[in-house]
Amino acid sequence: MESDHVRSLPEELERKDRKTKMEKDIAVLGVGAHPWGKFKDKDFVDLAVIAANEAFKDAGMGWKDIQAMVCAETVWSGKSGLYAGQFVSRALGSTGIPAVNIQNGCASGAVALAIAAMMIKSGMCDIALAVGGDVSPEGFLPALAGEDPLSPDSLRFTAIGATNPVHWALDCRRRMEEYGTTEAHLAKVKVKNSKYGSSNPLARYRKVFTLEEVLNSAVVCYPLRLYEICATSDGGGAVILSSMEVARRYTSRPVILAAATLGNLVYGDPTVQIGSHVAYKVNSSVPMASEVVQSSRKAYEEAGIGPEELDFAELPDNSSWHELMYMEALGFCGPGEAEHLLDDGATELGGKLPINASGGFASFGEAVAAQGLLQVYEIVRQLRGAAGPRQVEGAKVGFGQVYGAQGNAGTVIVKK
Amino acid sequence: MDSPKEQIPVAEGVFTWPSDEPCLIGSRCETCGEHFFPRAKSCQNPDCPDKGDVKEVLLSRNGKLWSYTVQHYAPPPPYRGPVPLTIGLVELPENLKIMGQLTDCREEDLKIGMDMELVIEKLFEDEEGREVVTWKFRPAQAGKK
Repeated sequence: MESDHVRSLPEELERKDRKTKMEKDIAVLGVGAHPWGKFKDKDFVDLAVIAANEAFKDAGMGWKDIQAMVCAETVWSGKSGLYAGQFVSRALGSTGIPAVNIQNGCASGAVALAIAAMMIKSGMCDIALAVGGDVSPEGFLPALAGEDPLSPDSLRFTAIGATNPVHWALDCRRRMEEYGTTEAHLAKVKVKNSKYGSSNPLARYRKVFTLEEVLNSAVVCYPLRLYEICATSDGGGAVILSSMEVARRYTSRPVILAAATLGNLVYGDPTVQIGSHVAYKVNSSVPMASEVVQSSRKAYEEAGIGPEELDFAELPDNSSWHELMYMEALGFCGPGEAEHLLDDGATELGGKLPINASGGFASFGEAVAAQGLLQVYEIVRQLRGAAGPRQVEGAKVGFGQVYGAQGNAGTVIVKK
Repeated sequence: MDSPKEQIPVAEGVFTWPSDEPCLIGSRCETCGEHFFPRAKSCQNPDCPDKGDVKEVLLSRNGKLWSYTVQHYAPPPPYRGPVPLTIGLVELPENLKIMGQLTDCREEDLKIGMDMELVIEKLFEDEEGREVVTWKFRPAQAGKK
């Protein structure tokens, strides 16, 4: 007798048929964001709600039109932050729709978006909201209570004293040794991003830095200087997705989510990863930032394009080193070539592939739960031609990448 | 005359202590030969053909400096050690680069590739006057003490 879990052949064929009929294209109907900064009178719920309300207005709909919600968690607000979706739902008015909480570190915003897209693709719903708000502690991100004393995330504090920037500095010094990256290269990334942040009304920092100012700033952990490491901020972001069929009821020119993919660390990754390891491979066939390689390669495949077809990109410049290394990890250029592209102006507005025309983490600081959604906000504004003085000419295909501690990553590709 | 302070490890099971020749405690998979630090409960290599037994092993005490940096600002709690502090990655023959504080050296004397050796040294003194010790690396000394 057949056991229950074995499907019969007709059932299997019917399942495959349903899958091919599934909506392939997902539309981005609306985006919203609360400016980045430090707001003593606002908690993460307030920031998320303000962003969501802007997204509803942008999409021409209301909260009651949302059929499912995916909310990026924050670990900085106790249990409320872990139940972020329920807290945000209650603030908007509980309608009983599914609200999923996402914890993937600093990749949570992009992961929330990917899960919302999957909900629509699966046929579970037609309209979904991805949202996140965060209130970050000042200074170095601290440990949490209750950690296993033998976990790498404990030992890095108790036995070593390795802050997040230490990890980046260790890889960055090695990069200088191997590829000849200079202190000026690191400073240049900040200078470029600060130029763009100065004309972004959402950005926390609006000062345009000179090379000298960055190079004269205090060394935090060599080779990384104060102005080459992003701050931590409060912020909120929201994105409304729908099936293409539903999108056409709201707009005649929907912007398309061509890819929203996830990735995780691969065993043997030689990158000095935060929180998951205190010992790392030396000789390895696994590429650096393997989680980012995983998510981005899947994104190129899902969108049916290669990196050469991107018009602009938003990268996670937690430090200047990141922007350089990520250009290579994402396949924008070969190993050791990132500095040349930077020197040639290829990653500036007007160049072949503007990077962080938003101003990047350099101008915003990082609000963990919301950052990935902020990138989508920027990408959509660029595609609509609404980026003002920071407009990427002829923007048609935009790329966003975030990564998080413990080897999390999320990639988005949005096109029109 | 001062009696020597009691020394306790910052975490149990990460290095042998007390010991005249302390070592980091790691694991090695009997099947695929991969090494892990700190100790692992099972093989973390997804390509291990057998997900075999991991056995506790003592890691090499000597290696080469892979990279280093000086942290100028105080790390957040629960860190209780000195500030500023030097942190490096030391490459061991087990194909692992181990993170740890660097000691007995000035930043200007450090060079990528130099020989380093493991030591166990004071991190801070606790409320009961005991020295809490951790693993560190120092430039390899010619001739043992």
